[in-house]
Amino acid sequence: MYIYRIMLFLVFGGYLLSPLFMDGWGDPSVAWYRPFAIWGVLIALTLWLEQKRKLDER
Amino acid sequence: MNAELIGVVLLGLSYLGLLFGCGMAVERGWVPVRITRHPMVYTLALGVYASAWAIYGSIELAANAGFGYLAYYLGPAGAFLLAPVLLVPIQRITRTYQLSSLADLFAFRYRSRWAGTLVTLLSLIAVLPLLGIQVHTLSDAVQLLTGSRYSSAVALLFCAVIAGCAVLFGARHSHRHRHDTLLSVIAFESVIKLLAMLGLGAIALWWVFNGPQDLQRWLEGPGAALQSATPQLEAPQWRTLLLLFFAAAFMMPHLFQITFAESLSRHTLLQASWTLPLFLLLMALPVPLILWAAQSANESVPLAAYAAYLMTEHWWVGALAFIGGLAAASGTMMMIALALSGMVLNHIVLVARPPEARSDLYGWLLWLRRALVGAVIFGGWLFAESVGRYHSLTSLGLAAFVGMAQCLPGLLALLYWPGANRKGMIAGLIGGIGVWLWGLWLPLLFDITMPALPFTLLMPADAPAWYNATLISLAVNIVLLIVVSLFTRISEGERSAAEACSVDAVIRSKRLPLEAATAGDFPAHLAQALGDEAASREVDRALKALNLTPQERRPYALRRLRDRIQANLSGLMGPSVARDIVDRYLPYRHDDAPVTDDIHFVESRLEAYRSRLTGLARELDGLRRHHRQTLAYLPVGLCVLGDDDELLMWNQALSQLSGISGESVIGSRRDSLPPPWPTLLGSVLNASQTPLYKQAVTLHGKDYFLTLHKAVLSGHDSRGGSVILVEDHTEMKWLEEELVHAARLASIGQLAAGVAHEIGNPITGISSLAQNLRYDTEDPALLETADQIQQLTQRVTKIVNSLVGFAHGGRPALPLPAAPASLKTVSEDALHLIHLARSGEDVTFTNACPSDIVVRGDAQRLTQVMVNLLSNAKDACQPQGTVRIEAGTQASHAWWRVVDDGHGIDPSVKHRLFEPFTTTKPPGEGTGLGLSLAYQIINEHQGKIEVASPPPGKPRGTAITLWLPLYQQDDHLPHAQDTDC
Repeated sequence: MYIYRIMLFLVFGGYLLSPLFMDGWGDPSVAWYRPFAIWGVLIALTLWLEQKRKLDER
Repeated sequence: MNAELIGVVLLGLSYLGLLFGCGMAVERGWVPVRITRHPMVYTLALGVYASAWAIYGSIELAANAGFGYLAYYLGPAGAFLLAPVLLVPIQRITRTYQLSSLADLFAFRYRSRWAGTLVTLLSLIAVLPLLGIQVHTLSDAVQLLTGSRYSSAVALLFCAVIAGCAVLFGARHSHRHRHDTLLSVIAFESVIKLLAMLGLGAIALWWVFNGPQDLQRWLEGPGAALQSATPQLEAPQWRTLLLLFFAAAFMMPHLFQITFAESLSRHTLLQASWTLPLFLLLMALPVPLILWAAQSANESVPLAAYAAYLMTEHWWVGALAFIGGLAAASGTMMMIALALSGMVLNHIVLVARPPEARSDLYGWLLWLRRALVGAVIFGGWLFAESVGRYHSLTSLGLAAFVGMAQCLPGLLALLYWPGANRKGMIAGLIGGIGVWLWGLWLPLLFDITMPALPFTLLMPADAPAWYNATLISLAVNIVLLIVVSLFTRISEGERSAAEACSVDAVIRSKRLPLEAATAGDFPAHLAQALGDEAASREVDRALKALNLTPQERRPYALRRLRDRIQANLSGLMGPSVARDIVDRYLPYRHDDAPVTDDIHFVESRLEAYRSRLTGLARELDGLRRHHRQTLAYLPVGLCVLGDDDELLMWNQALSQLSGISGESVIGSRRDSLPPPWPTLLGSVLNASQTPLYKQAVTLHGKDYFLTLHKAVLSGHDSRGGSVILVEDHTEMKWLEEELVHAARLASIGQLAAGVAHEIGNPITGISSLAQNLRYDTEDPALLETADQIQQLTQRVTKIVNSLVGFAHGGRPALPLPAAPASLKTVSEDALHLIHLARSGEDVTFTNACPSDIVVRGDAQRLTQVMVNLLSNAKDACQPQGTVRIEAGTQASHAWWRVVDDGHGIDPSVKHRLFEPFTTTKPPGEGTGLGLSLAYQIINEHQGKIEVASPPPGKPRGTAITLWLPLYQQDDHLPHAQDTDC
């Protein structure tokens, strides 16, 4: 259940804060792949949570 | 028709041919099941979300909204990240009740045909623009690559082939099951479009630009002005777009079909929470690269995805973009057509024309569905040609997504608000659809300026139409849903469906009896609606799934069978029609019997969902299991009956006692139990006072005496019923009888002792008179007679003394005797007593004890031991058997052995041979106390007993050896012998 709460926090937190990460379009000072890098980190975090959930349910 | 057109047509048909080959390879089993059922195939099949919009529309959106295009990819990523709390509950409902579409789900939850029909109509008109995008982009791609004016006809040709593939892979069989072929084909298409996008991105990065540094230089130089001129989405608009794509990820008909209707495991769905976002990330990554490549050409590119082709002028780059687009479009069209055909069939066609009892029901449904698949795809082509070509991909896509988002409030209420009712849902949906049609959909059809939406003044002045339409339609939808639900009643059926659907709801299934008495009656009832063949097949399927037989009579099992048939029919015809058929032809019996909760069903569900319980619920479930195990493993028989006489529990002890397994009888009625249980349980249920002691019954050929206790379950939270404890008192009853028998024998012994005592006096008189006679006569004949009288009276005296001694020998706790006792004499006395019993006369007894072996002890009590041993040996022997008494010495002890050639000792009683009441003789013939007494006496003599059965070196028989201390000359008598007789 705690894992589900973390996921809920991630999704709703990301939903509210995501506009902050979307402002870099066309800004030379920001690497164009920044949103994808953040997204990749989120996927890795989800993968880790999924593994943890599987262990919890065993 | 030019050569380029022929080339593109052949390319497209070749790709579709490859798809066909892939499908056939899976269908015929050439691809191993471990591959076709791998979770990755499921993830890739979910990639159908990335339609032609992902190839073409995203680039267009990126040009108009910068990184705002990412909303299309991040929305579904968020939805799948919430799989455990959002998607898994929906999957549970759809799998349990065999619901294959959003319309099925709404019709089931809100118990309304209208709800299903409304959602179907909404899906139909909302998805048309999305279908239009697929056809439109195909047509545009053909035109761009060939410049031909026949692009629409070519698109129609592709549509026809795609429709054929959809029928072949998704509508070949009448019964709904996991479509491995379809999923594999869609997964294959996802791989193709992903490779195409990555390829196009790589070409843009390393061919159009000369690598990342060149791209960066362009972005900082010539491209900087273009990028800064790109409009950025306002934060609220960005969030609204995210919400739209979040909802689309599981509510678009084709995505609902793959996510929930295919029989995939929960684990696979949860795994998609990170694999699908990864797929979407890879799909999204090339989008800006391709767009910047197009912008770097500084010219207008009709389809930005073809920018690399236009700049490199290599045909294979164009072919790559075309194949990517075709893969995306064909997969989406196939899945949309299959999903919509099922919805239209179940919620429009079958509702308007219910199925009749026809012999070819399955074939009729199948052909209807195939026709609908073709009609949906043709409708998409028609929409694209008449409407789609005049609008941007973004406008078309947003119209579709906003339309389907109207189902979001109803879906969330379905999961999280049991108070929502059908009136509220329909009112909200109609309100939302009205605003959506007015604000987005109708403007696509008619090139006129529609009057402003209500509440537009509350929105930002420069907000785009899609934004206003989305917020206003959803707000109207939600407000109407809440207000109408709060002020109108919810029906009983709807309430139970709400409980079945709600997350964390308490499901109270009722124990209602069915009109049908056995499972074998079901086909005849159902045949009235489905026809004989279909009815038999449906019942057989359900019986097989539940592992039941047509002879099944248990009410619980019949209820589960009914539920399963309804679920299966729901998968075939939709929940509304299925419910109508089952309610009408397999009705419950509404008699005066009390209706109570189906506890067994609730327990089954809890067991099935145990691994998913968390926190307090898990602890409570652990507690429940503990209490249940306590009852299940109670060493006393226990059963629980409901007020309607349905058996709710039958524990292990009762299973062992009765020989009836709990699984076979739980859920059945008391009167259907094998005899004598219906009568026995009925007697205790009807008894005014319990317990009922030692009820004589015969179970599996043996006599038992059972004591039954009853407690009525009552109280505030009670669900009624009675709990009955069944105690097996057979052994106690037998012991009681043995005790009575032993007491009777003791009385006889006392009587014999009294008689012997009384006989002693006259015998003494006779002996004295014979002595006197010897003194009074010299007649040799009389003297001989007197001698004989004296010898006989001595013999009688000896017998009497033996009897008296034996009768007194069993008294406990006598002090240790220290008198000499000759084993030969004691053996003789014992044999003498044995011979008095007129049985076993054909057994030969031999006393082989040497006369010089004298032990320390009480001769009378040792006689009693020997009598018991000889009696047992005699009983164990066959006629003509032999019993031999032997003795010897070893150090300071004497051994004294009785050896027989009888049947030996039963191994099952060997370990408790000296326990009281241990016997293998029939009741009434042995007390089971003899050896126990012998053991006690020998123990008091500081001796021991050894048993060998059979004796060493002999095939049969028993040897019991007594070890006793030898008499020593210096032993003295501590207490006077008891001479009282």
